[in-house]
Amino acid sequence: MILAANIGLEIHCQLTALQSKLFCSCYSDYRDKTPNNNVCPICSGLPGSLPLLNQKAVELAGMVSLALGCKVPDKIMFYRKNYFYPDLPKNFQLTQYNSYGITSIGVDGKLDYDGSKKAVIRRVQLEEDPGRLIYENNNNNANSYTLIDYNRAGVALIEIVTEPNFTDPKHVRMFLNKISSVVQHLGVCDTKLEGSVRCDANVSIGSKRKVEIKNVNSFKEVEKALSYEITRQNTMSLHDIEIKAETRHWDDLRKITKQARTKEEEQDYRYFPEPDIPTIILGNEFLSSLKAIMPELPDERKIRFVTDYELSEHMAQVLIENKEMSDFFELAVSIYSSPKEIANSIITDLMAFIDDSEQKASILSGLKIEPKHVADLVKLVDQNTINRNTAKMILKQIIKTGEMPSQLVIKTNASKIDDTGAIAEAVESIFIREKSAVIDAKNNPNVANFLLGKVMQLTRGRADPKIALNLITRKLTESN
Amino acid sequence: MTNLCGLTTKQVTLGIKNRDFSAEEYICQILDRIEKIDVKINAFITVDKKGALQKAQLIDRKIHNREQNIGPLAGVAVGIKDNINTNGLNTTCASKMLKDYVSPYDATTVKRLRESDAIVVGKLNLDEFAMGSTTEFSNNGPTHNPWNIDYVAGGSSGGSAASVAALECAVSLGSDTGGSIRCPASFCSVVGLKPTYGSVSRYGLISYANSLEQIGPIGKTVSDVAMVMNAIAGKDDNDYTTLEWVPKYTLHPTKKNIRVGLVKQLVEGADQAISKCIYNAMDLFSKLDFECEEISMNSIRYSLPSYYTIAMAEASSNLARYDNIRYGFDLNPDGYEWNTYFSKVRSNFGQEVKRRIIIGSYVLSAGYYGKYYLKAQMLRSLLKRELKSFFKQYDILIAPTMPVLPFKIGEKIDDPLKMYLIDIDTVIANLSGIPAMSIPAGFHNDLPIGLQIMANELQEQTILDAAMLFEKASNIQRSPDL
Amino acid sequence: MVSKQEIRQLGKLSKLELTDQEIERYQSQIEEIIAYFDILDSISLNELEPIHLIKNFSELRKDCQELFEGNALKNVKYRKDDYIKGPRLA
Repeated sequence: MILAANIGLEIHCQLTALQSKLFCSCYSDYRDKTPNNNVCPICSGLPGSLPLLNQKAVELAGMVSLALGCKVPDKIMFYRKNYFYPDLPKNFQLTQYNSYGITSIGVDGKLDYDGSKKAVIRRVQLEEDPGRLIYENNNNNANSYTLIDYNRAGVALIEIVTEPNFTDPKHVRMFLNKISSVVQHLGVCDTKLEGSVRCDANVSIGSKRKVEIKNVNSFKEVEKALSYEITRQNTMSLHDIEIKAETRHWDDLRKITKQARTKEEEQDYRYFPEPDIPTIILGNEFLSSLKAIMPELPDERKIRFVTDYELSEHMAQVLIENKEMSDFFELAVSIYSSPKEIANSIITDLMAFIDDSEQKASILSGLKIEPKHVADLVKLVDQNTINRNTAKMILKQIIKTGEMPSQLVIKTNASKIDDTGAIAEAVESIFIREKSAVIDAKNNPNVANFLLGKVMQLTRGRADPKIALNLITRKLTESN
Repeated sequence: MTNLCGLTTKQVTLGIKNRDFSAEEYICQILDRIEKIDVKINAFITVDKKGALQKAQLIDRKIHNREQNIGPLAGVAVGIKDNINTNGLNTTCASKMLKDYVSPYDATTVKRLRESDAIVVGKLNLDEFAMGSTTEFSNNGPTHNPWNIDYVAGGSSGGSAASVAALECAVSLGSDTGGSIRCPASFCSVVGLKPTYGSVSRYGLISYANSLEQIGPIGKTVSDVAMVMNAIAGKDDNDYTTLEWVPKYTLHPTKKNIRVGLVKQLVEGADQAISKCIYNAMDLFSKLDFECEEISMNSIRYSLPSYYTIAMAEASSNLARYDNIRYGFDLNPDGYEWNTYFSKVRSNFGQEVKRRIIIGSYVLSAGYYGKYYLKAQMLRSLLKRELKSFFKQYDILIAPTMPVLPFKIGEKIDDPLKMYLIDIDTVIANLSGIPAMSIPAGFHNDLPIGLQIMANELQEQTILDAAMLFEKASNIQRSPDL
Repeated sequence: MVSKQEIRQLGKLSKLELTDQEIERYQSQIEEIIAYFDILDSISLNELEPIHLIKNFSELRKDCQELFEGNALKNVKYRKDDYIKGPRLA
């Protein structure tokens, strides 16, 4: 009997919108910096240093809490999570903890995803990132030492903890995409930056023990890791093998989870309040001022797209999934107001070229297309200067060259041919070239389409297909 | 050439400003004295001859050029407890774990002293990581009491107090977590102040117990202490636990008719010779027209367990960072597995430190947090409440600083709990955050006795007033003949 | 009652390598000290809140970049390129 899975998530999001780290003024953007140069006494844990909480970090964390429907308490505190590891400068992590009273920036929230599915958020908390451990040759077994870079130590993280209500890895993937969209729309985290979002998961089946899955490097991999783990646990259960409560790491080369450490060896973190950071009183205006500056959230934007632009729910949904895309759309519409057509052009034609693999800085990286191009293109179609097919082809061109559609149309003489005479000439040429097809056409009506295709090819898509088909059919009938 | 080493802060600054002597002359005498007698005392871990001379010469140049910006502590020789960061100098905490550590930054208090033109002469001995009451737990050997070198100087700021008493510097900085400034001040017959929690920046102080400790001054006289406080105290943006205020201490007593409460339990719990001395002090206060009464404090018996619970808990976490990767001593990590390396390097902590780390981990562990740590923190509220009500009726509370006289080196070192019990008089000030000073009150068998004066939060001026009047009237010797 | 096993476990938790003699010596001392702490049990403190320092949101550090003047990790001896060498992972 396959048991139902219970999945809970712990999502870590770097607050990449910050200039400085969570507790010091070092740069929060540690990427591509000389190792161990972006440090100070505080983030490198030098003796005698004291943490200085970043005001904007609290603000951005507050926005995330609000966007996830959480209650934001009047005051927040920080706790020490005590454990040893070579990437921890102080051998404790400054984080938030709710077991002795609510101290984190948000609790008890919810987030809808994939239309009507509901996820329950247990809490949102602020904490600091550890340093980075570098493995030479990507294999830490070969070396007698580890290399450490503290540039990332102290960078601000938001941790979002969900209730373990997910049952299907696919849903988890959809939820993670929604979270991604939310933090993008809030402008707190650039999810394209390497390492800016990470997800750990707790998985159990039936009422058996929970296994923690860590070290999953992308949201895409989370779905794979979860599927694997659920299968692994069910297989063990079917063979009556005990499932141990443990931490497992996702090996994304071999696509399996493997044991990291057992829960029995698990640390006692000995949480206690950080004495160097007072209780922070958020104040009466904290929430109201956040609400005033809060950017539009994806769900709100979707509603607006449907109401104001009369897009279908489905189209609106596709657009808001990625903030870049919805921004692109709105900019295009502001240039030329034909929302349905522009949405169509983006979703049907442009999206095929988009690279949303998580490494690129922008999904439009390397593409020379801008909102003004799509606006112009749609305008040409609306004005009947070109047909949709031509538009599609021109789009391909624009992506490479960045030229304005109207220019391209003139250059390549791509404007629609609806002059019957010109089309008739094209039909004539095809009839001469495709003699055997013409003979077949007499018996097989479908061949007319083949001939139409050839006419479209010859006219480089500019012929009006209706007129062309008409002429072809007539000519075929005539020769009978 | 007169002996300049015995001068107070005020005398040094005036003397230099009036060109009675140069900063260089003064500091050379100080450095000579250190070289001569510190072999007996062992107050210093590091002496910065070069830096001190350079600073002295700089000050002399400023004086010579009649510059306006001469600092209020110009030329004053200052010793810094070796758990306070000094840029470019070793800061070792008297521990093997930081044996080779060179600070890359100045603590705020050190920065402010330098800006006041004080001259940092060196780093002073302490119990390892400030954990102890006698400076016997130092990796550099104990500091000897200048009054009798077979006896302990007190701790953990033993070097800070002994150096002042031995005229090796005019003033020093110590740190006080459970009595570590006041205890050695009492044992060495000098003046030591633990300021209100949050009144002096802890940025740069190597943490032992963050919610309890403060950096504070030690000097021969009350005015020494006041002048240093004016230089170092006040809000610091680098320390979120500092209060919104600026020090403005005056050296002329501003208040007469001070109401005094004598804490009965603490006097009665002390050695007879000490109780006698404290009652004499009370008589002296009465003669000065102070109203004196005995009071009884209920929360006292919980104060020591509460203090040690919190201190050890915080210490166990504060000392976790010493894994020898970014600072410490020379041991190449190449070839070691990380658990092994961490455990191996950390075996270099001394006995007392290890004990406190273990107990600290114990009281914080799941299951015990509510029983010990949380209870101890709540007790602090209880204590604060009790003190607040006393301070409505009294301006200062007095008690002995120590329940025992200075004892011989080695006498109490094998019984940790016995050692902890001598902190009974001092921990209430740390638990509640109120300021407390120890001033010399007399001798017994040529061993010093200290009087402790406590006041409400940020009421250091009241302590200074009472102390200055007492000092003048009692005229206790401040420095042995060495 | 604090057992030798508990002390050994606490040693592991704190990454302190304790010899058998040390554990032997510490056990009685630590037991005595913890027993002394037990006096805290006799107080009923249910109505009291622990003391909290407070700070207003408006007083927090503004989000500005400022590189540390000195070099915080310049004295670290064991390196490879600019990385700091640490012991290997398990």
